[in-house]
Amino acid sequence: MKDTKHNSGAPEDPQRRTFLIGLIAAMVSFITLVLGGSGALYFLSPAWRGRKENWVAVGPISGLKEGDPIKIDFVQRKMDGWNVIQSPSSVWVVLQKGEWVAYDPHCTHLGCPYRWDANKKAFICPCHGGVFSKDGNVVSGPPPKPLMRYPTKIENSTLYILPEGAKA
Amino acid sequence: MKTILDWLDERVGWRKIKEVIFDRLIPKGVDWRYTLGSITLFFFILQVTTGILLAMHYSPSPDHAYDSVKFISNNVPMGAFLRGLHKWGATGMVVSVFLHMLRVFFMGSYKFPREVTWLSGVFLFFLVIGFGFTGYLLPWDQKAYWATTVGSKMVEQVPMVGQYLGSILKGGEDLGAITLTRFYAIHVLVLPALTLLFMAFHLFLVVWHGISAPPERTSRSGDVPLTDKDPNWKEKVKARYLELKHQGKSFWPYIIFKDTVAITIVFIIVAAVAIWKGADLEDLANPTDTTYNPRPEWYFLSVFQLLKYFPGSLEAFAIVLLPLIVVGILLGLPFFDKGPKRHPMDRKWLVLAGWAGLLGVIVLTVQGGRSPLTNPVVEKDPLIMEGKRLFTDLHCEYCHSLNGHGGTVGPALDGVGMRRDHNWLANHFKNPEKISPGTKMPNFNLLDSEVECLVAYMSSLGGGSFTAKAPRIFEENCTVCHKFHGVGEEIGPDLSHIGSVRDAAYIASYVTDPQKMNPDAAMQSLAEALTPDQIKDVANYLAQQGK
Ligand code: FES
Repeated sequence: MKDTKHNSGAPEDPQRRTFLIGLIAAMVSFITLVLGGSGALYFLSPAWRGRKENWVAVGPISGLKEGDPIKIDFVQRKMDGWNVIQSPSSVWVVLQKGEWVAYDPHCTHLGCPYRWDANKKAFICPCHGGVFSKDGNVVSGPPPKPLMRYPTKIENSTLYILPEGAKA
Repeated sequence: MKTILDWLDERVGWRKIKEVIFDRLIPKGVDWRYTLGSITLFFFILQVTTGILLAMHYSPSPDHAYDSVKFISNNVPMGAFLRGLHKWGATGMVVSVFLHMLRVFFMGSYKFPREVTWLSGVFLFFLVIGFGFTGYLLPWDQKAYWATTVGSKMVEQVPMVGQYLGSILKGGEDLGAITLTRFYAIHVLVLPALTLLFMAFHLFLVVWHGISAPPERTSRSGDVPLTDKDPNWKEKVKARYLELKHQGKSFWPYIIFKDTVAITIVFIIVAAVAIWKGADLEDLANPTDTTYNPRPEWYFLSVFQLLKYFPGSLEAFAIVLLPLIVVGILLGLPFFDKGPKRHPMDRKWLVLAGWAGLLGVIVLTVQGGRSPLTNPVVEKDPLIMEGKRLFTDLHCEYCHSLNGHGGTVGPALDGVGMRRDHNWLANHFKNPEKISPGTKMPNFNLLDSEVECLVAYMSSLGGGSFTAKAPRIFEENCTVCHKFHGVGEEIGPDLSHIGSVRDAAYIASYVTDPQKMNPDAAMQSLAEALTPDQIKDVANYLAQQGK
């Protein structure tokens, strides 16, 4: 069955041969481009698709007054791929110079949950004794930077925060 | 460059491989019909590529499968196109495998010395069928769920061991989470591995024996016809093959060119259909649905149809026997059709039987496709379905009642669509406190898409009120064809629960002009017999049925 005398076939026309090879290359590139291109878009798309802004209503502002910060618990619903996940979370809210400020409830040192001490007028972290002032700056202790703030907005006299947008 | 190539040649022997595979001569007369095998190979590569990409965003669990498939279609760039390619690629692969087998059958290419090539091909065919069956379940929509239900019910009908076989197939008593993970594992792990193995073997044999030459009459140019009585017929067959081979051209680039042209055409067709038709996704699988029409994928239709001809206890028999016969014929073919006769004119009876079988499959498929649907086709509004799901997920019924079920903390929601418009509902869901100060309804922080679904569902609960005359109008005009809570004829579908799938507006337009809503409808318009107000009245009445 095996046959290695491959020069015994029909006579070859070298020009036709090159032409066919060119066409094969063109067709294969076409398929690869369509398939590879759409596959690449599909696979690489997370790189340029930003996340959607997910404003969360934390409550009507009518009940809030200037003074001590208060902790508000809320439930956030957001998309995780095809899932809607619901995560309970909380935020420290304080009205400062007529502006609503919302702090991420985790200490900037190692992420412990700090609390507001009404007597000392400061946020105290229980883990390593970090202390933050009402405006979020570090007063003492190991925390390296001020408390993280969530963007806030008021709409229909309801306070909204954007938990994903936390900034120092 | 040359030294690198030489170095590599000494290590991997590529020159020899190139010579054996690419420079081998292909017999004269190998034409377009011979591209079917390569097309099938291309489909396999296409399915593997698109399949791997789809698997990246797929979750094989009843809770997530449907949503993840929907996510691929709606949210991932190119996701809809790749799903389309995978779906239509599967269809294309079934077609090309089938045509490839027909080519081999009619040309007698399975005969000496290629019997084992045929057998490995038959196994590959079974694997492709397995791919089709397991892949069909994965989107976990109605179509998927019910087709698999029918498939496993068939298996369960096998006498004696049916129950056990069914349980093994489903991974338990019921079609559910384990069925899905099993099918997924088989679809993406077991079958591809087996296919690669058999394919490698199949291709090795194709190269080893060379592509079969087109069949020739055994009585060429007045010779004495060659038969298997001739003790040297095998040598003569081989010698003639070598002769034809040396009149042919080399595989590269001449044969590969033909293959590539065929593959490119097929790819363009599949890509066009993928863009044009896409891959559909029906409603989420609903095991309690009693109005769904299970339909197998078209390439199983012939089997489906054939089984209808075996009533009652004969069906169990047919379910075992028919597949055995098909498998037996396919595997036995090269053993009962032996000898040097390959040309169709030298194998008249067999070729005739082949045509008859092919015709049978085509007729059965067409019949199966035409067979009437027992249940009316209902297109449900996907938004409403989604809203209903969310209503359950959020446990709205803890506080609100609907049809007499549920809590009393909030108002009952029956007919809420009549009382509240879309805007009110949307604002209410986004911020209950603002719309109804003092309300106990919590702010769920719903996503915009979720608000949209809930609004659609609530609005569908409208229905509207009907007058006391409505039941009379219905009785006088509709029960001549429709059954209704046990009364009436069965010419048209039973309408006792129509309200669970249709809203009043749809019913009203249907009654006014059935063919506009469903071109195949047998129903006559009632626009002449009834006034528009009466139609509206009946529609509102029907929309309340089975809510
Ligand atoms: S975590 Fe808060 S001080 Fe260390």
